[in-house]
Amino acid sequence: MSILPTRFGDNIMKALWKNLFNHWNKQENQTKAVLKQIPVFHGLSDRQIREIENLCHKRRYKRGETVFKKLAPGEGMFIILSGTIEIFTEDNNDKKNILAVLNNGEFFGELSLLDSDTRSATAIATEDSHLLAFLRPDLQSLSKRNPQTGNKILFNLARVMAARLRKTSEEISENSSELI
Amino acid sequence: MIPKNQSIDKIYTLILVIISVGILFFIWPYISSMVMILVFAFLFTTVLLPGVDVLERKIKSRLFSTFFIMSGLLALLFGFLFGFASGLFQQTSEFYHRLTQENYVSELNNLYQRTVSFLPGASSMGDLGNPQLAEKIQVLFTGFMQQFLSFAKSGMNFIFLTAMILVFTFILLNEYHNFRRTLVSMIPNKYFELGLRIIHNIESQMSKYLTGQFMAASSVAVLSFLGLLILNLYGANLTLVVFISIIAGLSNLIPMVGPLVGMIPAVLISVMNNLGNDVALAHMMFNIIPSPFFIFDIIFMFIIVQQIDNNFITPILVGESVGLHPMLVMISLFIGGIVLGPLGMLFAIPTAGIIKVIVHEVVFLARYAHLL
Repeated sequence: MSILPTRFGDNIMKALWKNLFNHWNKQENQTKAVLKQIPVFHGLSDRQIREIENLCHKRRYKRGETVFKKLAPGEGMFIILSGTIEIFTEDNNDKKNILAVLNNGEFFGELSLLDSDTRSATAIATEDSHLLAFLRPDLQSLSKRNPQTGNKILFNLARVMAARLRKTSEEISENSSELI
Repeated sequence: MIPKNQSIDKIYTLILVIISVGILFFIWPYISSMVMILVFAFLFTTVLLPGVDVLERKIKSRLFSTFFIMSGLLALLFGFLFGFASGLFQQTSEFYHRLTQENYVSELNNLYQRTVSFLPGASSMGDLGNPQLAEKIQVLFTGFMQQFLSFAKSGMNFIFLTAMILVFTFILLNEYHNFRRTLVSMIPNKYFELGLRIIHNIESQMSKYLTGQFMAASSVAVLSFLGLLILNLYGANLTLVVFISIIAGLSNLIPMVGPLVGMIPAVLISVMNNLGNDVALAHMMFNIIPSPFFIFDIIFMFIIVQQIDNNFITPILVGESVGLHPMLVMISLFIGGIVLGPLGMLFAIPTAGIIKVIVHEVVFLARYAHLL
């Protein structure tokens, strides 16, 4: 009589324990994997990625919730762990101009890692989303404490910016040649 | 026009705020010690955190890094307290024995006469040679020893508070980043970036201020040490020089009042050591100003140290870390002194700095509120 409840209790505990830690491990691995594929963190060692992971803030956004608005002061970049984020601007007639729809493993707002200028577009979660925020104050303190990691990130960031600039230049030259 | 629902919400909020303030007012006497312990622990954490972070990267263990840093701090603290207490005890007992000897009565009378004769209107003060002076000092000294027991009781209380501060500092240092993350996770998404910005600005303000103050205090201690050594070369016969310098450096943390407090131990020790020394009694500063027992030399030396500190060291090391107007500094010190005494004065400037950061961020928030 007394064995059944004990076994029953043990099984529940085992299941709970397994579920809890499996889930925890899965989430940790997923965060690391996502961070590793972000161009801003390319070339960082496992230890450095772990350090970045410790600096990042995990945030949950409900469907329709605003991550940031255009012209609001920006403090850093967001990485999508799960969910979908829509980046758009609105003209004077409130007409929505969608710039990008981002999914798992993509990032946005990285310009704010470099300056404290205002956001150039609005970001809204179009479904329940799980984001990682990596902010400028955290990058600054990391650069101060660990200049090697800070330099790598800033160099990667410069590469991302250079690629974007090159792409923009190409688009402008294509458009101007079409106009001619 | 404000909608009816919004007005009701505002009234509820106001009632809630009044009730919260009322509850805080009533429970404050019970929680004030705890709050003070937490404030001290937070300040120590801010000072020690960079050290723990650096050590953690070297030895890969947060717990051991915290343990090593705290152990080092404790060793320094106990070393200082033990050394100073034993030195002071020896000095005081020597002075007490010397005071009981008859030949020092005339010395004290001489000092009394010399001091009074330099005061304005000394001629109208009547009998200058008060033979009861030494006895009065003896009575005072005995009274002081009798009060030692009550002082010991306060000492025990102080030790308990110090132990609690150290325990909380250890916990805060060990769990700082987790506490910070928990705090950040509680910020609503709407205010996330702004909240983090405020936390970061407060941390950076506190860290800059405390590090700057610590460096300034260290330099004052070093300068005082050099000054006291120079005075000793001219025969000031000062002992416990290292401790006097450290006390001068630490008291320098309290603006305006601290420097005055810092010179008191040096003056007292000079009087204790030179009692019975005719040369010291007849000493003239720069061969012009009478300075019995090098008292005015010591004061002059500390004034020079203060000038060097105020005009060269503090502006460079502390700089405009807090950036408060001198008038605001004085008002903050005054309020701090009224509320918490010397401790309040110690914390007045960083607290005013934190309030300044919050006000600055609230103004920033008001400007961008429509975008949140």
